[in-house]
Amino acid sequence: MQQRIMLCTVPLIAVSLAGGNALAQAPGQPERSSGFQRSFQSFNPDISAIIDMYYYADNSEEGISHVLGEMAGFGHAHGHGGAEHHHHGPDEGFNLRHLELQFSADVDPYFKGSAIVAIDLESAEMETAEIETTGLPWGLKLRGGKFYSDFGYINAQHAHQWDFTDQPLIYKLCLGDHGLNDKGLQLSWLAPTPFYLLAGVEVFQGDNENMFAYHGEEPLPTHDGPRVGVGWMKIGPNLPGYHALQFGVFGATGKHQEEHDGNEDGEHDHWLDGDSTFWGGDVVYKYNAPKPYGQGDFIVQAEYVSRKKDLKLVAHDLAPQFVGNSRVDEQDGYYVQAVYGFLPRWRAGVRWEQVGLTNKSKLPNGETESSDPSSRASVMLDFTPSEFSRIRLQANRGSYKTEEGTEDATEVYVQWMVSLGTHGAHKF
Amino acid sequence: MAERLKIVTTTSDLAAIANAVAGDKAEVHAICTGKEDPHMLQAKPSVIRLARDADLWIRIGLELEIGWEPPILDGSRNTRIRVGSKGHLDASESALVLDVPQTTITRAMGDVHPMGNPHYWLDPLNGRRIAGAIAERLALLRPEDTDVFRANAAAFQKALDERMFGPELLKSVDADTLWAKTTDGTLAAFLEEPAIKGKVGGWVAATLPLRGQKIVTYHRSWVYFAHRFGLDVVAELEPKPGVPPTAAHLAEVAATAKAEGVRIILQEPFYSTKAANQIARKTGARVVVVANSVGGQPEATDYLALMDLIVAKLTAP
Repeated sequence: MQQRIMLCTVPLIAVSLAGGNALAQAPGQPERSSGFQRSFQSFNPDISAIIDMYYYADNSEEGISHVLGEMAGFGHAHGHGGAEHHHHGPDEGFNLRHLELQFSADVDPYFKGSAIVAIDLESAEMETAEIETTGLPWGLKLRGGKFYSDFGYINAQHAHQWDFTDQPLIYKLCLGDHGLNDKGLQLSWLAPTPFYLLAGVEVFQGDNENMFAYHGEEPLPTHDGPRVGVGWMKIGPNLPGYHALQFGVFGATGKHQEEHDGNEDGEHDHWLDGDSTFWGGDVVYKYNAPKPYGQGDFIVQAEYVSRKKDLKLVAHDLAPQFVGNSRVDEQDGYYVQAVYGFLPRWRAGVRWEQVGLTNKSKLPNGETESSDPSSRASVMLDFTPSEFSRIRLQANRGSYKTEEGTEDATEVYVQWMVSLGTHGAHKF
Repeated sequence: MAERLKIVTTTSDLAAIANAVAGDKAEVHAICTGKEDPHMLQAKPSVIRLARDADLWIRIGLELEIGWEPPILDGSRNTRIRVGSKGHLDASESALVLDVPQTTITRAMGDVHPMGNPHYWLDPLNGRRIAGAIAERLALLRPEDTDVFRANAAAFQKALDERMFGPELLKSVDADTLWAKTTDGTLAAFLEEPAIKGKVGGWVAATLPLRGQKIVTYHRSWVYFAHRFGLDVVAELEPKPGVPPTAAHLAEVAATAKAEGVRIILQEPFYSTKAANQIARKTGARVVVVANSVGGQPEATDYLALMDLIVAKLTAP
């Protein structure tokens, strides 16, 4: 959804530049020089809120979150483990995504800042709070605070920007509901090349429950932050007219720790510590048709992610003989999706995903496990009454390889979301 | 010789005027081709690359580009063209603006622009003023070529005046007086004065029979043209700006068009002509499809050619 900002242009130049022979206002006519409305200006930040509700149903006995939590190679991945296994996933029936309250403004001639407060029914959390430079030379930009990593394509997009209601499986399984969003610093560089080339490096404290978790308590060792490094590059060839294309490659590596409750008695009984890495690529093609109201617009995007967790068993209360052995997990996945504006304001989309094309785990006891890929197909239909609202119907049909076998599940979403206030325009 | 300045404009119309003013002192790139709806674009990577190297960025302003300009300026990391810098020219600052809301507005009114209607380049007087503003800004960026920019702008304005009023009339009356008369209601009587009669030419002469006519347009994008040439826009096919026509609204428009004796339904080529044809069948009015931007149709090769084309299509028998 492209968004607009109201009442906010800030022309700071006070020189009159209308040109020597410009005419004065004709008498008796409602013409005005546009300076007329300047009195509306203020230095208040732009403030916006996204309200995003959906109805959800699936035909899985224990719920789709449970299925995803049991998926071979991906399941039980999260470091919080133990008794507090909680799956955030949709509930059957009505769901309200957190209210996204966003503030943004230029700070001064050097920096700009923005923050998103995510408010749930019970609590509020800081989704992002970031500062970035606006005046560095040589195409450089420094960003700091808590922010979404710019690796890949969908990671940096907020949920309301997605063309499907839910996240791609590979993102959800590797990085969790919030993607890679952490405290840190990013330095990016727009290269002086004859085509678009943007490259960035990021260092994060290391706080992702699936890939870069950190506990730092006995018996696990401590590691000082920052514990995660990310690098990415995006290239956009010069396509003519309404065509746009962007390729990206990325990689990330960092420390990872896991605590597990093997006998399910509510107490952690074994602990792992080591390194976790992922790498991959993304491609986006957009055709922005000249027709109004989004008719004829076409988007294809795809991302591939491969991850490897290389951990050592640092302690095991039940099987101390394996301590010092390693556990290595290698999994991957991709999604491909296409969305087409088939009528003014109406879009239809399809998405195909596979995860676990590579899916092998080497366990501390010397055994190895491997599993076939899981897949999911989705279809989507949405109606966009204006730039500020959208209604969407989506259905998923998945075939998931879990530790208990194959489970097929159908999911349905009916989503209704709106944007209030002054929300900044979205990036490509 | 100094390196050529790099100018990036949001629309093709601004590029056409910038080209006329900068001459061979600059290379000019436009983001819009003129064939699309300029409200809805993407902050394409290749456009960010263009903005990266720009010395001067020119926009229409009045929030026309608000859905896509900020990520381009931000993504370009080009401090020369940031809003408020010498290299950022908001052309609306030099324009005469209409439709500035006088009451509280809400988004329930559709895509209303709180600072005024952004389609002001369709008033040729604004084209004239934009040329002046671009010349002054270029002079600020490249003072040694000030005279060239001012001379180019003056030549563009002279050519525009001649296309507007005809060279004969300009020999008798100065352009400023004539422009003022186009909207103060005195033009028709003035052109009948003995010393003046028969001298008018150009777009004004061609559109004289249209003065006072009531028209329907698709989007509220023709108010400036109508204002300058004495046309009266009585209805739009869009029920609210940015909202596609509905059956109920079209029925109302048809009734209005009949009651008001509308002869012309005017719209841009990128909109479907279905709704206009429907009204035309009911009322006998003529559907005129014409580009509202340079490049929107093959004949609209520059700003003056665009105006030529609009006048020709409106006055075609």
